[in-house]
Amino acid sequence: MDFYLGLLQIIGVHTLLGLSAYVVLLTGQVSMAQAGFYAIGAYVAAMCTAMFGFHILPAILVAGLVTAFVACIVGFPALRVKGLMLVVATLAFGEMVRMFFFNFTWRIERGGELVGPNGAEGFRAIRFFPENGWETGDVTVFIWCVVAVIMAVLWWVDNSRAGAVLRAVGHDETAAQSIGLNLTAIKVGAMTAGGMIAGMGGGIYAHTVTHIEHLVFGVLLATFAIAYPILGGLGSVFGTVIAVVFIQGFLVEGLRFMGEWRSILFGALIVLAMNFRPTGLLGERMPRLFKPRPSESKLEPKGAE
Amino acid sequence: MDYFFFLDLIQFTVDGLLFGTTYALIGIGFTLIFGVMRKLNLAYGAAALAGTYIGLVMFLTFDAHPAIVFLASAIGSGLIGLVVYLCCFRFTPENYPMASLLASVGMLLFIDEVVIHASHGLPYPYPSVFRDAIIEIGDVWVRGDLLFVFFMCVVAMGILFWLLYRTPLGLATRAVSQQPRAAQLCGIDVTRVNMMTFGIAGVLGGIAGAMTAAAVGVLSPVIAMGLTVKGLIVVVIGGLGFIPGAIIAGLLVGAAENIFLLLRGVTERDIYVMLLLFIFLTLRPGGLFGNAQSRD
Repeated sequence: MDFYLGLLQIIGVHTLLGLSAYVVLLTGQVSMAQAGFYAIGAYVAAMCTAMFGFHILPAILVAGLVTAFVACIVGFPALRVKGLMLVVATLAFGEMVRMFFFNFTWRIERGGELVGPNGAEGFRAIRFFPENGWETGDVTVFIWCVVAVIMAVLWWVDNSRAGAVLRAVGHDETAAQSIGLNLTAIKVGAMTAGGMIAGMGGGIYAHTVTHIEHLVFGVLLATFAIAYPILGGLGSVFGTVIAVVFIQGFLVEGLRFMGEWRSILFGALIVLAMNFRPTGLLGERMPRLFKPRPSESKLEPKGAE
Repeated sequence: MDYFFFLDLIQFTVDGLLFGTTYALIGIGFTLIFGVMRKLNLAYGAAALAGTYIGLVMFLTFDAHPAIVFLASAIGSGLIGLVVYLCCFRFTPENYPMASLLASVGMLLFIDEVVIHASHGLPYPYPSVFRDAIIEIGDVWVRGDLLFVFFMCVVAMGILFWLLYRTPLGLATRAVSQQPRAAQLCGIDVTRVNMMTFGIAGVLGGIAGAMTAAAVGVLSPVIAMGLTVKGLIVVVIGGLGFIPGAIIAGLLVGAAENIFLLLRGVTERDIYVMLLLFIFLTLRPGGLFGNAQSRD
């Protein structure tokens, strides 16, 4: 049972990571920085609970806010360049964050032992859950509560005016600008929101694994982050969730008997999926089942405003 | 600022400049592909690495001469470049850049994993030439193997320029990179030009990979990430789609990297190189020589 609960936890945390990339992808920007934001969130939240004795909820909120702030600051210079150059800039940012935590040491004494990030060794003993008597089931419920709240918010944003604005920028920047949308504000806003979600996801992740190190937050994780929404389809938040369940549940856990060959399969799967279904599993539109009104399906996403 | 520090600074800068030519080659590869297709091929560094491993196989099984090893690396990488084109760019939709981008990332992971499996993740010795030769200019030493790397990369660039500016294929390539539609109307087969470009860029990548491995002396899968990231940084600093910019930026990054290595140590070196990239992105998004139009 614990195995399945653990799997559910992984899926929940990765859903947050995927959703953070989803928000940014809606505006047509491919950000490889999500793993970096995730790392910042993980370290900040872990420092809050392990070093300063916060409760998990404020710790995750602080992690989200700090990461959102960093994402906002990074967003301004990075979004001066468009499309492909942004991939380069965010990739470099992600690696920079990883290298920073590789060199980052700050340990304080608490309860008779030294805690805190310790350079290449990573950050050990993030024991909020065991110290406070949370069972695996409690943790899983907690994670999925957070995921549900964030999904609900994103779902609401998607169906409101803000979602239409984001998609307008994603589909045609020039057209969006010509109807008076402020491109920089929207892109930086999306980046900030994505950073916040990634930070919260990273904060939860740090507490479920109790030990984090810089190696986890590499390019592979950044690829996972953008692969979930693109493979699942940018039509709605459910595409991301389905892709996470498929990749983490089936590809990583279900095919465990294949050993290390799974990681080869992951790359090949992405290549195949992009050749045969480039807009993702659920496509670019919202699934009809979840549409609030049937008449809306006739509108082009571009012309929604 | 004493004499010996100054000497070290010059020594590191010279080494960096010589080694920077490999970055320049990788940067040229990215720039070439971007020039004709307006798309980023993130699998490029991995393809270069895989090509270098093909050269290594020649070395380990047939004990081949270094020249043959380098040649096999270059040709192998060119062939893998063609495979990457067919898998990631040929059949993905033109107007949906995310698809080919993600496909090339998938290819990057795929090639990387295959190489790690085939080599069990262990570093292997790679042949080098003129390892013991050292030229002394005053108190500054110029390593023979680095000089060889520099020389080979310059030759590769020379051949590339000859291809681009003196042959019909080069004319077609330049035409496609200026105006794909117009080039097609003139009877140029765009798909064929794209394929050739991927092959040529792959060969350049293979040479860069082989030269990196030859300069370090060992080959391990970790250099793929370094090649990719450094190549992309070179492209950004030099300006996308501009070959002389890539060359100068490659030398610049090589020198800057070594100076940071001297000043701040090996673990912090890459942070400062990335910072350099961010400064360029903020202050000169079009690269050193770019104008505002070449931003995309």
